Amino acid sequence: MAVKELPVVPSARPGTMAAGAAMERIRERRPVFEKQKCNLCRECLFYCPDAALAVDQGEVRVDLRFCKGCGICAVECPVRAITMVPEYAGNRGFIEK
Amino acid sequence: MRLLLNGNEAAAHAARLARVEVLASYPITPAAPVMEKITQFIAEGSMKCNFVRVESDHSAMAAALGAAMAGARSFLITNSQGLAYMSEVLYHTSGLRQPVVMAVVNRALAAPHSRFPEHGDVVAQETCGWVQLFCENNQEVLDSLIQAFRLGEDEGVRLPVMVNYEGYIQSHTRETVDVPEQEAIDNFLPLVRRPVLDVNNPLAVNTVTGPELYMDYKYHQDAALQHAGEVLEEVSGAYARITGRDWGGAVSGYRLEDADIVLVAMGSLVSTARLAVDDLRAAGEKAGLLKIRLFRPFPAAAVRESLQAARAIIALDKNIVYGAGGALARELRAGLYGFPAAPVYSYILGLGGRDVGVEDLAGIYRQVSEQLGSGTAPAPYQWYGL
Amino acid sequence: MELIKTLAEVPEDELFTGGHGGCRGCGAALAVRQAMKVLGPRTIINIPASCMATIGGSGLTTAWKVPFYHSLFECAPAVASGIRAALDIQGIKDVNVVSWAGDAGTADIGFQSLTGAAERQENIIHVCYDNETYMNTGGQAGSVTPYQAITPDTPAGKPTPRKDMLAIMAAHHPPYLATASVAYPLDLMQKFQKAMAIQGFRYIHILAPCFRGWGIREDQTVQLARMAVECGLWQLYEEVDGRRRVTVVPERRIPVREYLRLQGRFKNMDEAAIQDLQDEVDRRFREVQS
Repeated sequence: MAVKELPVVPSARPGTMAAGAAMERIRERRPVFEKQKCNLCRECLFYCPDAALAVDQGEVRVDLRFCKGCGICAVECPVRAITMVPEYAGNRGFIEK
Repeated sequence: MRLLLNGNEAAAHAARLARVEVLASYPITPAAPVMEKITQFIAEGSMKCNFVRVESDHSAMAAALGAAMAGARSFLITNSQGLAYMSEVLYHTSGLRQPVVMAVVNRALAAPHSRFPEHGDVVAQETCGWVQLFCENNQEVLDSLIQAFRLGEDEGVRLPVMVNYEGYIQSHTRETVDVPEQEAIDNFLPLVRRPVLDVNNPLAVNTVTGPELYMDYKYHQDAALQHAGEVLEEVSGAYARITGRDWGGAVSGYRLEDADIVLVAMGSLVSTARLAVDDLRAAGEKAGLLKIRLFRPFPAAAVRESLQAARAIIALDKNIVYGAGGALARELRAGLYGFPAAPVYSYILGLGGRDVGVEDLAGIYRQVSEQLGSGTAPAPYQWYGL
Repeated sequence: MELIKTLAEVPEDELFTGGHGGCRGCGAALAVRQAMKVLGPRTIINIPASCMATIGGSGLTTAWKVPFYHSLFECAPAVASGIRAALDIQGIKDVNVVSWAGDAGTADIGFQSLTGAAERQENIIHVCYDNETYMNTGGQAGSVTPYQAITPDTPAGKPTPRKDMLAIMAAHHPPYLATASVAYPLDLMQKFQKAMAIQGFRYIHILAPCFRGWGIREDQTVQLARMAVECGLWQLYEEVDGRRRVTVVPERRIPVREYLRLQGRFKNMDEAAIQDLQDEVDRRFREVQS
């Protein structure tokens, strides 16, 4: 086995965690947005710990690579336009694809 | 320019000549006069350097490390309790490959409380990954500190360097020291900037590292430290060309050619041992001396080569690794293992400032000579001067 | 300086990206995300041992897009001091140097270097993200853990009250000091804007709940942070050169009981203790808001 080539100073390059993000592996529920209710106040964007939400072409979209399904956005939405729906069905935790 | 300087003043002049940019230090006896002298240089305008007046030794090392990571040439001083308190930051500094230079004005570790010289403080940090140099006099303090920056900043090394000299014996004793011209040092030591915390090239430093990478990082770090031994030869040679003073790289021998019994020492004991060798030679003894200038990386190959003809070796340790003996003796025995060389007689002496004179070393030599003659195997280690 | 007035004005760039290793509903990551929006790319941040030091970097990957150093536990403000000294000597200006620590790295193991840097008036911003426990090691109690909170090492509830870090830091006479909350992002971001415009030592203390340590649901992070403000336990204000200004007056006041009863960690707190706390909060609320 050969020694790995590594940076001299132990360090990581920017953007590398986002590139490899795959939160579907741990997410149990996801936010679903009702476009009709949303007033684009953007509060959910600033309450998301995972930078998973953005306004794109006039609506809030969730980046499911980043979303861990915490549900803060649904709790905080002042117009209740967000619902958390399970990623799995049944009592054995089967993950829907 | 020849000046009468104590070790601390010599260290301060070295920092000035090296154009140190950030000094972060916390006062400790007997190293504090170095920082006082440097702040005086800054105040009078003969040095452009930012002094970070930290509240502790731990923060001194942390600030010096931060400064180095942000691209500045960084220097600090400490010893004993301060060095022990810095310990974890020493490991960060070497692990992050930052070429900070530190003057360590060796002093005994408490308890009981002592402010007097020995090498126990630096020996306690022998595994911290820094290059560790030892100086025998104040000229070597100045010269080694200047060399330390070039050595640590070398592209293939990129590691921190400790330059050790003893409290009082060196720090507070004046000797004639030749202080090189700034221009000569500027040519020898161009400024190298490798900021790792740089807004134009953002990196995340010291991320959580798992078993798949940690060991490889450590392999590279150890290889770089081993390489530092080779680079020191080159740096010492280059320095000799501009100043005429050659401290001989990792080790240097004195009257070794036909020596039967060789004294091996670090730091101020080297000068003492040199006089003892002269006296013994005058009395018809085939005595020699091996000076260990570089303790980390330990120059095992150079030691083997220097000691191959010796019949007995005397390790002089101003430190005690409790339950194991002298640090230098341990290295010598490990380095000579498997070679048909001579037995190593290990002496613990001079702890906490207890004086060791020429006659002490000559006496130790005679003890060993007798034991060798009677075929007595060396003890694991013995205490001298109790 | 033009203060951000609405969320729509906030830059979209994410300098702490998604994909990080924080738990669901992580208040620490949320605080960083909000602050980084205004601190911007010319920021060097160092974070000592804490959840926040670890979740943004793993091996050769990171969520950070600014220079970041995971420093040792007790010395983030000292590291920041060294970084500033190095930038100054190189003539590098307009860079925010930030030490960002949890409550342990600020109030406890990190306090020595913090008080040193504050006294020296180092030109840095120190941020405490406060979840009131040592969450990175499992939630043990520290000096800012509240009275009677149950933690793994205070199973019967913490016997002593929370240390007042704001008063301690105010005693260093910083040119800027503020409290903030992840439930009030606009207020938080404006405070960072103001801090950035000032030279010298600046201190911002953010209440950032941790659902695991607090015994709440993971979607309640922001809700509890807001209730802490509404009940008066966590008041939002700033002090510029020692002159205090309340920045958020809660739209409604709630009893502390309502805030405490939602959290598992206060389940042992009896009514008498809650009433004592209510009295203290009312006194303190009047003092700050007046």
